[in-house]
Amino acid sequence: MRSFLNLLRLSWLQLARHRVRSLLTVLGVASGMFLFTAVETLQRSLARATEETADDTTLVVYRENRFCPATSRLPEHYADEIRRIDGVREVIPVQVVVNNCGASLDVITFRGVPAGLLTRFAPEIEIIEGSEEAWMARDDGALLGEVFARRRGLSPGDRFDAAGVTVTVSGVLRSPNAQDNNVAYVKLPFLQQASRAGLGVVTQFNVRVEDADRLDEVSAAIDGVFRSAQEPTDTKPEKAFFAETASELIELIGFTRWLGVGAVVAVAALVANALLLIVRGRVKENAVLRTLGYPGRAIATLVVSEGGMLGLAGGVAGVALAAGFLHWQSFTMGNEGLTLAVRPDLSVVVIGIGSGLLLGVLASLWPAVQAIRQPIVRSLRH
Amino acid sequence: MNEPMIQCRGVSKTYFKGRTEVTPLEALDLDVPRGEFLALMGPSGSGKTTLLNLLSGIDSPTTGSLVVAGEEIAKLPRRQLTAWRARNVGYIFQLYHLVPVLTAFENVELPLLLSGLSKKERHERVRTALELVDLGDRIHHAPTELSGGQEQRVAIARAIVADPPLLVADEPTGDLDRGAATRILELLRSLTEDHGKTIVMVTHDAKAAAAADRTLHLEKGQLLEDACVPS
Repeated sequence: MRSFLNLLRLSWLQLARHRVRSLLTVLGVASGMFLFTAVETLQRSLARATEETADDTTLVVYRENRFCPATSRLPEHYADEIRRIDGVREVIPVQVVVNNCGASLDVITFRGVPAGLLTRFAPEIEIIEGSEEAWMARDDGALLGEVFARRRGLSPGDRFDAAGVTVTVSGVLRSPNAQDNNVAYVKLPFLQQASRAGLGVVTQFNVRVEDADRLDEVSAAIDGVFRSAQEPTDTKPEKAFFAETASELIELIGFTRWLGVGAVVAVAALVANALLLIVRGRVKENAVLRTLGYPGRAIATLVVSEGGMLGLAGGVAGVALAAGFLHWQSFTMGNEGLTLAVRPDLSVVVIGIGSGLLLGVLASLWPAVQAIRQPIVRSLRH
Repeated sequence: MNEPMIQCRGVSKTYFKGRTEVTPLEALDLDVPRGEFLALMGPSGSGKTTLLNLLSGIDSPTTGSLVVAGEEIAKLPRRQLTAWRARNVGYIFQLYHLVPVLTAFENVELPLLLSGLSKKERHERVRTALELVDLGDRIHHAPTELSGGQEQRVAIARAIVADPPLLVADEPTGDLDRGAATRILELLRSLTEDHGKTIVMVTHDAKAAAAADRTLHLEKGQLLEDACVPS
């Protein structure tokens, strides 16, 4: 162990004292890992938003065969009938207005809900600025999701206008549900009038069921009740609804996986190239070490640890930059009124840094073999 | 102690240069007692460096027996030969071959990094070796900040720091001016006389050879002369 640590120190000295070469290599690795982390964050954010878990208890009731909020029009009184279905814990009618129905990087979504129902339907919501009372007190009051408010630089008292709707910010909310953090909640009658949808008409119903195991049963029951109604419904778990509705977004993000693969290949090629050059420039030096009694595995360890350190340093730098950038920018993508918040989590950070280290080590294996293959005498004459 | 440090019997070395077979050493016999300072002279291509490489275990003979420091090294597997080399041989190169990004201290420490010694023990040994070559005040200098003579003294400190019984030196004064060369030869002489090291030195310089106990001449892979030189 002591010998191994001494070899690591020797590798570190080699890198630290070839500062420009090392920094340039780390910079290249960091660029690749930045891209990799950004792509991985997109993929994981999408997975979080679309993959159902055992804890999911929310259903979305939409107009059958409609996909855009502008075309889904359901009678508000459906809420009372849905509430009576066995297994339903709470129902909230929602009017959705968006500034852009297609895939967009900066979608603004208004959700109109009955004022008294919001915190009852979603008790996990926490008001972190302003107050619910202030929101109740104003017809045009809006409670903004935390990410939405930060992205737009809005705080209580500000007024803003989007999609033909002008509101005053009454508060900022935080929720474990990413969708809540990216929308502006306004009162239902206000939005119905402001959007000209008309009173009594909503876009969808969000339904909380008593037990996650009963999602399928309850959704079938809801659609059964309205099968013969003038406005039939299509009910799905919230994440499945997102997966179906935001298909353009999913296709786009699916493509970015190849960018991630490209970044990984570029990083591996860069480290391998840098180490091959290092090994070629150090033929005699390695032969001297072997003359001094360093076995081939020690020389290989030196090369591999240099690769690992370059990969690790580049990984840490790239991942930190990407995570900081994505967190700071509160980057979101929207489609059909649903928002995908692109936020890095701990697993992305760990995977990114681990990938940097692993790529550095793997890319240095061939240069390490090269370093120990030449006979000592020939290398000393090099 | 009666056993010689080096015992070569019928040692030959053959290799191919392109399609041409080259035999730099042929059926060579040689005994070097422990504690002797031996100089090897001869024209270029006579096999001096080849012999040095065989004695130090960085190359293997094609045929013959080669016992060094009590071990038949011609038959040792590569891994054992490497460990043997670390214990028994200090190699001094003509062009020093110090690692340029390491300080004098770090260069001398290199042979000890895999020895399992503690940091304190290593540092004590390195300081002792550097003081022995009279470089105690230059330990944190990089090779580029040292003169040729100082670089060679660092290389000698590196060769002796693990306390090997055998030192092999390939033209250790070949790149130095007369004054620096004299100081290096005095240092090698003292390593033999005061510390009992066996030294085999390849040189083209008769004055350098005069510092040795004995001089052997090699020509076309054969030992031609065995002259005793008074020290």
